Amino acid sequence: MKLSKRSTALIVGGLSTAMVLAACGGGDDDGGSGGAAGDGGSFSVYIGEPENPLLPGNTNETEGGQVVDSLFTGLVEYDNETNEAAFTGVAESIESTDQTTWTVTLKDGWTFHDGSPVNAESFVDAWNYAAYSPNAQGNSYFFANIVGYDQLQAGDDGSQPAATEMSGLRVIDDLTFEATLSSPYAQWPTTVGYTAFYPLPPAFFEDPEGFGEQPIGNGPFQAEEPFVPGQGITLTRYDDFGGDAPANAESVEYRVYAEQDTAYTDLQGGNVDIMDTLPPDAIASAESEFGDRYIETEQGDITSLGFPTYDQRFADPNVRKAISMAIDRQAISDAIFNGTRTPATSFISPVVQGYRDDACEACVLDVEEANRLLDAAGFDRSQPIDLWFNAGAGHDAWVEAIGNQLRENLGLEYQLRGELQQAEFLPLKDAKGMTGPFRDAWIMDYPVAENFLGPLYSSAALPPAGSNYSFYSNPEFDALLQQGNSAASDDEAIAAYNAAEDVLLRDFPSAPLFYRLNQGAHSENVDNVVIDAFGRIDAAAVTVVG
Amino acid sequence: MTDQQQADLRHDEMEAGTTTGLASPSVDVTDARQNSLWSDAWGHLRRNPLFWIGAVLGLVFLLVAVFPQVFARGADPRSCSLSNSQQAPSADHWFGFDQQGCDYLANVVYGARNSLLIGLLAVLVVLVLGVVVGAVSGFYGGLTDTVLSRLTDVFYAVPFVLGAIVVLQSGVIGRGVVAVAIALAAFGWMTAMRLVRSQVIAVKSGDYVAAARAMGASNGRILVRHILPNAVAPVLVYTTITIGVLIAAEATLTFLGVGLQRPAISWGLQIDAGQSLLRTAPHLVLFPSIVLTLTVMAFIMMGDALRDALDPRQRG
Amino acid sequence: MGRYVARRLLLTIPVLIGASFLIFAMVYALPGDPIRALGGDRPLAPAVVAQLRDDYNLDDPLLIQYAKYVGDLLQGDFGTDFRGRAVLDTITQRLPVTIRLTAVAIAFEAVIGIIAGVLAGIRRNGFLDNLVLVSSTVVVSVPILVLAFVSQFVFGLQLGLFPISGISEGWRSFLLPGLVLAAGSLAYVARLTRTSVAENMRADYVRTAKAKGLPHRTVIIRHTLRNSLIPVVTFIGADIGTLMGGAIVTESVFNLPGIGRAVFDAVRQQEGAVVVGIVTLMVFFFIFFNLVVDVLYAVLDPRIRYD
Repeated sequence: MKLSKRSTALIVGGLSTAMVLAACGGGDDDGGSGGAAGDGGSFSVYIGEPENPLLPGNTNETEGGQVVDSLFTGLVEYDNETNEAAFTGVAESIESTDQTTWTVTLKDGWTFHDGSPVNAESFVDAWNYAAYSPNAQGNSYFFANIVGYDQLQAGDDGSQPAATEMSGLRVIDDLTFEATLSSPYAQWPTTVGYTAFYPLPPAFFEDPEGFGEQPIGNGPFQAEEPFVPGQGITLTRYDDFGGDAPANAESVEYRVYAEQDTAYTDLQGGNVDIMDTLPPDAIASAESEFGDRYIETEQGDITSLGFPTYDQRFADPNVRKAISMAIDRQAISDAIFNGTRTPATSFISPVVQGYRDDACEACVLDVEEANRLLDAAGFDRSQPIDLWFNAGAGHDAWVEAIGNQLRENLGLEYQLRGELQQAEFLPLKDAKGMTGPFRDAWIMDYPVAENFLGPLYSSAALPPAGSNYSFYSNPEFDALLQQGNSAASDDEAIAAYNAAEDVLLRDFPSAPLFYRLNQGAHSENVDNVVIDAFGRIDAAAVTVVG
Repeated sequence: MTDQQQADLRHDEMEAGTTTGLASPSVDVTDARQNSLWSDAWGHLRRNPLFWIGAVLGLVFLLVAVFPQVFARGADPRSCSLSNSQQAPSADHWFGFDQQGCDYLANVVYGARNSLLIGLLAVLVVLVLGVVVGAVSGFYGGLTDTVLSRLTDVFYAVPFVLGAIVVLQSGVIGRGVVAVAIALAAFGWMTAMRLVRSQVIAVKSGDYVAAARAMGASNGRILVRHILPNAVAPVLVYTTITIGVLIAAEATLTFLGVGLQRPAISWGLQIDAGQSLLRTAPHLVLFPSIVLTLTVMAFIMMGDALRDALDPRQRG
Repeated sequence: MGRYVARRLLLTIPVLIGASFLIFAMVYALPGDPIRALGGDRPLAPAVVAQLRDDYNLDDPLLIQYAKYVGDLLQGDFGTDFRGRAVLDTITQRLPVTIRLTAVAIAFEAVIGIIAGVLAGIRRNGFLDNLVLVSSTVVVSVPILVLAFVSQFVFGLQLGLFPISGISEGWRSFLLPGLVLAAGSLAYVARLTRTSVAENMRADYVRTAKAKGLPHRTVIIRHTLRNSLIPVVTFIGADIGTLMGGAIVTESVFNLPGIGRAVFDAVRQQEGAVVVGIVTLMVFFFIFFNLVVDVLYAVLDPRIRYD
């Protein structure tokens, strides 16, 4: 899904960070950690400059997402340990008999920060707004499986959408509404915990622009002042919070830093309390420097080497498996990533239910078997293979390492094709333009196994509609996925998803490579800092000590 | 390299263009005088140690660029193993290994070719553009001159590196050696143009030009036979220095991620890859930096010495 | 003088328009689809893409787009980037950083450059003269990229004298990048001063002054310096505009959030409005300082008269 803009910040930050480590010194102590203020104290958190106004429907990167998450609470929340949906949010229940028509019942007593009640309309209106294409909300596609979404999209000829409200959403009473999906999806209740699905108060529709600077949410913290570009925003605890776990601290300051390593210096000097991500060069030393204040979390993502299944040269699954088996994932993680990548063993991330740690046999280095497969497939080794990735995002080194391993293990020459920026690279992927294996990366939208399968490999997700850049299409896989989506229980669903994954493992449209580990750290002024699989800090849980 | 290079371009224009004695029309083109200028200059050059240091350095790098395998101590720059990643220099591997586990000496040595190639190609384009536009502008004057001069101003006002970045980013001309050379030249020809233009203007009113015209010589003949030879000296100085400047600019563009691409071997790519590992493996930045600096210095020293030799006023 | 300034101002208009159009056309020619990149690996809904393309006039032909842009610009509207942020906000937020960097660089350039040049020029071929000559050759030869890393490594990391990156320590943060940015010009100022001082030392009026029996010191300060510094001052003035437009590398290596960094980032993300806005500003500065210098020249040197 979305590219965090950090990926670019990381590269630029590179060296300077290295030096910051040694040069770090004290600094003034008037940072954001004045523990004495109020009863709960206050703390500060590093963020990069958010890319968009702070609207749930338009926030799809980590920086703004962190702030929006503190300001809003959705229907469900995700358990920090298991990543399963928990009904600690606004929803009392989300039920269905056919996995298609879902009845959402809300808890009573939740209010927005301006005092207006959180009711069924708060959700339905917000979702319709985000889905309506003239509003140009980046998260619009999250609603695409609700009946009537198509009528909210402008035509190709620029004509206005036929409707402003999705016919699949129906308010039943103040605390109940119904959502009808275009096809069964048993995991739907889990998806609605994502940022895009947050409710909006009536005040939003009066002034969307002003709202984006100073949002009125229903979460544990409220914004008493607008967001200041380049500086940040301070949120205070919302005392009438409807949930069971109100914020521990009195206030939190999200401080915008242009550079990650400047923030890291501040963290070392105790001038900022929490960083949810660390500069790459600091990782090697951060663990010993911060001790138990160093936090490493598995991320819900996967990096793969996609194959152009439309290219005759890579049409044989054995060729694709051979290439995968010639890659020593652990060696690359150690040499290039400082050990912060876990070799992938499945198409599914370990943070979600349905992950199997031994699913992918072709993900294990086996040079002999790789050569045998390649010969059996009659692969022409005299031609170099192109390795594609997007430019300017720090992918050169690891893709080159893969190329070197292919040459060493398979005797294949390689050509790096990393000259295109995303703006050009993505359209080329959409247009079947890859002439060799390519970087494919995915960060989960919500913690369900299906999110690692459907959006990447189903026929419905073929570009331009989705992200199936391998152009893999197999009715058997689609049917098993559908079976999982319609399953009545989680166990049944996961069994079906695993069966679908087995089809993928057989056909091998892409080679799973790595899962990312996220590194964060915090100062001595705070405790109970949890960073979830989305890389976000649970701000309400943070306690200020001393 | 915007900062320094742009400044340098300006400097060279000021030194070579406006202040050299050669710009004044008193210099005649009679063969005898020309000869005395050059032999005089050579005599001066011979005694300048800076020139010899520069010339020897330049020659060494030229040899490295042409025969890299001789200097790589038998190592293949593309034979790499991650198990050697970032190893420090040793007796067997003088420059150690890079992040990919490739022999670094071999990589640095093989990087010379691209750097020199880009420097020479770019300077060639700069010369052609500069001489043609400058000569036309200065010789014909009037509206032609006004239009071409304003056009030059436009290019001059756009920051050098920025212009090259956009050209390369557009991908129209690709991202290889030739593309980088063209991009550099496209925003680096203006000083040469101004140099040539001012020389042409200074010389064209001279008596011998009038004489040639009176004898029925055509415009083209006057330009090529009488005027251009006079402009050679300052342009030569400028060219020598500019090769160094352009080599550094190539490294900068590549460092910024818009120049050469891996797996091409270039000093800019090596510095770029090494910068994030400076704490753990400082040699990865150190070696290409030193070699790059020495190369640039070779050309600037030669250029400096040449200027001193050709410009009597600069002599002590 | 007034007429000269007016004429020069008029001449800057075509250059300003030409440069902004040049850069606009080049950004326009950049391949790919910036809106597509906004969504990242997950495509935005097609209708959303269409809406955004329309919002930013991306489907208009080049000349129409440029005309719309200039039209907005004349009303003080620099446009917005693809995140909906006003370009003017970006500029006002980042320009102070670049201005401070340039100011520090110019200060280094003037102070160190002139002192070194005067010391070298007073006694030609002396030890100081040769030292300045050789060291300026070395400094000019070191690519700014290398200079930046070496100074970060030595002064920031090993010696811990300066902050290595970022702007969190106020003016101190600008010392190292300022010195690096100034280095090339500094070496040139030293040489220019040296040549100029040496020439003036041989000039008739200095000989006259010496013959009148004025003290050596007075001759140097009152007579030689005043005249030899004219070309130096004008060079430094013109350099302000060059440095402001040329800090991309310095700002990148030292992580200074100035306009150089902003414009580089914008090129890569194809943020046309940001690129054109900032470059136009840089071009303006460049032209402006060159104009100021020419006028200054006339004021300082009575031999020059513009009519």
